[in-house]
Amino acid sequence: MIALAGIESCKILAEFLANLIPGGVVFGLVDKDEFVWVKASDTFTIDFFTVGNKLSDDTTTMCAIHEKKVITQDIPRTVYGKRVSIISIPVIDDNSEVVGALTIAFPKLHPVAAAFEDFAPILAEMFHEGAFLYMSDLTKIAYRQPSEKFDMPTISVGYELDKTDIAYRVIHSRQPIIEEVDASRYGEPLNIANYPLYDDDNRNIVATLGIVTPKKTAVTLREMSGNLENSLEGIAAAIQQLAASATVIHSNEELLNSDINEIINISEQINEISAFIKEIADETKMLGLNAAIEAARAGDAGRGFGVVAEEIRNLSAQSKSTVPKIKQLTDIIKKKVSEASEKSVRSLDASQGQAAASEEITASIEEITTMSEELSNIAKTL
Amino acid sequence: MSSLELVVFKLGEEEYGIEIGFAQEIIRIPKQITKMPDMPSYIEGVIDLRGRVIPIIDLKIKFGFEQTERSVDSRLLILDLENSLLGIIVNDVSEVIKIKEQAIEIFSAEISGLSGNRIQGIARIDQRLILLLNGLKMKSEVLMK
Repeated sequence: MIALAGIESCKILAEFLANLIPGGVVFGLVDKDEFVWVKASDTFTIDFFTVGNKLSDDTTTMCAIHEKKVITQDIPRTVYGKRVSIISIPVIDDNSEVVGALTIAFPKLHPVAAAFEDFAPILAEMFHEGAFLYMSDLTKIAYRQPSEKFDMPTISVGYELDKTDIAYRVIHSRQPIIEEVDASRYGEPLNIANYPLYDDDNRNIVATLGIVTPKKTAVTLREMSGNLENSLEGIAAAIQQLAASATVIHSNEELLNSDINEIINISEQINEISAFIKEIADETKMLGLNAAIEAARAGDAGRGFGVVAEEIRNLSAQSKSTVPKIKQLTDIIKKKVSEASEKSVRSLDASQGQAAASEEITASIEEITTMSEELSNIAKTL
Repeated sequence: MSSLELVVFKLGEEEYGIEIGFAQEIIRIPKQITKMPDMPSYIEGVIDLRGRVIPIIDLKIKFGFEQTERSVDSRLLILDLENSLLGIIVNDVSEVIKIKEQAIEIFSAEISGLSGNRIQGIARIDQRLILLLNGLKMKSEVLMK
């Protein structure tokens, strides 16, 4: 308790202390139930602490006066619009009668909030792509700290939280939230982590602390690995088509080979027929020669018959002359066909090589696909 | 200007001709030729041609040529040498031609004698030389030995 005689000294002391105490302070001197003197620091005031204001009996100060002892009390936000701690010291006269009180009010600040200005600028620069740190009280943004690489200009101090904001949801769910936000909301993909901060006795949430980090690299990586997977799928499909056409080529070549063999058979048959033609021609020739001999033996009477014999022999000679021509043609057919057959065997080999190569490529692609899936998984965890 | 009709055939590479009057017919060489014992090597054997037995000779052996394989074109030329039938094996009967007598060069007795009078002359047609067989001489040589 303070003696009335010492009160002037206290007032002088308070004048000095007011702007020295971090966070600010308000001193008020109460005579009976009325503020008679008030000293506030530049950064912190309470409107109610005004000379002339009367105090009701339920205030800390009046309780201290009635109970004649020093009382310390935390006053919730609902009373003065901000959380404050109030200490009231009764003032007594020479007869030890309580005549008033000296009341000191401090802003009540969460330790994290108190330290925000110290740690946030450092922490913000410690992220690869930069970070944006903020603190909210229960309704609005109270502190913000952008980094050199990353800022969220729309989130200013005083910004009112709405129910889509993560801080709002943390306050109402009483759970920390770590969430990815896609580019539709803030123009680029973000990772937002928000934790609730409790008061001294860990009962009530009084604030939240949030860290926002851009996810550009991770998203780019994920997109790339997605693209990679798509391309690989395309390649795999193309290779399958390739393998399928190799199979078609293979069966075509086999058909071609059997066709070629058939052609060889047919040209053999043509040769047989042409041998038959030669035989007939030989027979006809002999017939013609015999007819000529017969005509000669018949003398003049056989003259007409001799002409016929001559015609027969001519006919036979003509027929016979076709035989080597046919043979020549069938020889050419056989030669061409065997060339074609050789080529088809070669392309059969090539198509088999192609099938083998495309199997190898498929195996490689599968490996790469597996790797890109892993890559994609890694990108998701970033 | 009289002319001559010849049956032309081949023995090896050479062409021979015989007057058509000596020829009776041309047939394929029969599969069955009956061999006869104790005959000169140029006698192939005998065949039965429509009821008549005909001796077959290989003229190339008779003429002392190298024996060549018989081909599908080989034929049997049946000669009618004054009612004696004789078959000669030839490589190919190529044709029956009519030539003018002037085209035939008759060998002198000396040259003809060197060949045992088998060749009586040579017929020249374009670039071809056709040796002319003496039919009568053949008969005496082959059938009356």
